[in-house]
Amino acid sequence: MIAFEHVGKRYGGRFEALADINFRVERGEMLFLTGHSGAGKSSLLRLIMRLERPSRGRVLVAGHDLDRLHISQVPYYRRQIGVVFQDHQLLFDRDIFANVALPLTIQGVEPIDAGRRVRAALDKVGLLHRERALPIELSTGEQQRVGIARAVVNKPALLLADEPTGNLDPQLSADIMRLFEDFNRIGTTVLVASHDLALIARLRHRVLKLRDGRLVGDGEAA
Amino acid sequence: MSERQSTGPSRRGAQKPTRRSSGGGRAWLRHHRAMMSDSALRLVRRPISTLLTMLAIAIALILPAGLWLALDSARLVDAELDESATLTVYFDADVDESRAMSLAAEVGEQSGVAGTRLVTAAEGLAEFQQTLGVEDALSQLDTNPLPASVVVTPDDTDPAAVQSLSQRLQTLDGVDEVRLDLAWLDRLQQLAAVGQRVALALALLFGLGVLLVVGNTVRLAVESRRQEIEVVTLIGATHAFVRRPFLYSGAWYGLGGGVLALVMLIVGGNWLASPVAALAESYGAQFALPSLGTTHSAFLLLFSTLLGWLGAWLAVGRHLADIKPR
Repeated sequence: MIAFEHVGKRYGGRFEALADINFRVERGEMLFLTGHSGAGKSSLLRLIMRLERPSRGRVLVAGHDLDRLHISQVPYYRRQIGVVFQDHQLLFDRDIFANVALPLTIQGVEPIDAGRRVRAALDKVGLLHRERALPIELSTGEQQRVGIARAVVNKPALLLADEPTGNLDPQLSADIMRLFEDFNRIGTTVLVASHDLALIARLRHRVLKLRDGRLVGDGEAA
Repeated sequence: MSERQSTGPSRRGAQKPTRRSSGGGRAWLRHHRAMMSDSALRLVRRPISTLLTMLAIAIALILPAGLWLALDSARLVDAELDESATLTVYFDADVDESRAMSLAAEVGEQSGVAGTRLVTAAEGLAEFQQTLGVEDALSQLDTNPLPASVVVTPDDTDPAAVQSLSQRLQTLDGVDEVRLDLAWLDRLQQLAAVGQRVALALALLFGLGVLLVVGNTVRLAVESRRQEIEVVTLIGATHAFVRRPFLYSGAWYGLGGGVLALVMLIVGGNWLASPVAALAESYGAQFALPSLGTTHSAFLLLFSTLLGWLGAWLAVGRHLADIKPR
């Protein structure tokens, strides 16, 4: 599903954010990406989302060599990936339903079909009863769950999450992680960047560990 | 379409991204309709700033449109003048009435003459009295001081052709003088040509002005929806999708400005109509201010809408490049 081959990323020609990264992720896997802030987690996710291109090496996702992907194809590529952001990135000028429906609107899904799928996604994160609420009326944990519903509403093959539990207390964090495991069980490949080592250790999934832009660990959390 | 969406993760991965992979033309139309009304709603929700923008556009449109109308009316005057671009051939004072008639016939046979009208000495005097209202003074005269004359309508009103016709008529026996008043006609035509260029230059300048007004407004709109643009770009929106609402608001601004300009032109025209008619009346002329008419009104609206759309397109294109998701 994901393959990094000798990937390096430099910013401004000097700062080396990532150096010689190699790993493969099989379809249907669930894994964590850890490291201190500045270790290169965000850079790695940005490469997968094709927000940036590697300075060296190749990134392959879902059969696409991202470096050879034409700029006009990038939007269609991104539709195959669901992304959960640390600050959830909801749009505050529209209700929960419209926020979750956004990826379907972009893809031009029929409204009736879209409504059904939005409700299914909201039901999955336990917020079906709040579909007409505005994001501002929701708690931080609920907002994050709306962000997750939006990320999975078009059934992406790959789900990326960047510090999804960064602002949440341990109980809510555990709930969120359980949601990711649920999606993984139905076949979605899930990659979660997080520095919540205690939580990761409990979940027993593969962990990629970054330090100063290098991959220093790849295996199940000890 | 829905089947395609629900094929699940297993197949999606291998699927090559295709243009408008789901939805096709119907979804595209639906988004157009949605953005058309959504952008209109956004403008309606902020009536004052919307109206101010449209007003700025209207003012920029009115100046060239008004000047064009003025030139158009000058052209009407011009056409009337063309018809009255006649020569007057004065005969020698000793030419009597029967000789005048045969001379008039001779003039009429010259090439380049479309028509003639004989004005006998007596008729000339009567016309003179009527125009100047000096009946009393003239009735004191024992003899008629005016010669007989013939008014010649040339078949070609080109100044050079009229000039050469005048020279030929001058050489006829019994002709005292040929009068033509072409110099001022010439000047008027040159003035009209200058006016047309000024109108064109103004149209270009103010068209640019409309582009800038819309561009600046749309730039602010883009800035205020920066987060939304970042998010939709991250989840796979195409440039066209992101651009669409802004293009529609640009078009709405243009259309609204065009409608305002039309209204202002009509109101202004009515306001000017009666003094202009009175002024024309005092010159013994019939003259009504021209109005734009259906075709030209439609053209103005189309033009302003296109200008608004183009202004938005330029602004969005420039500023979308700046907005890269963090």
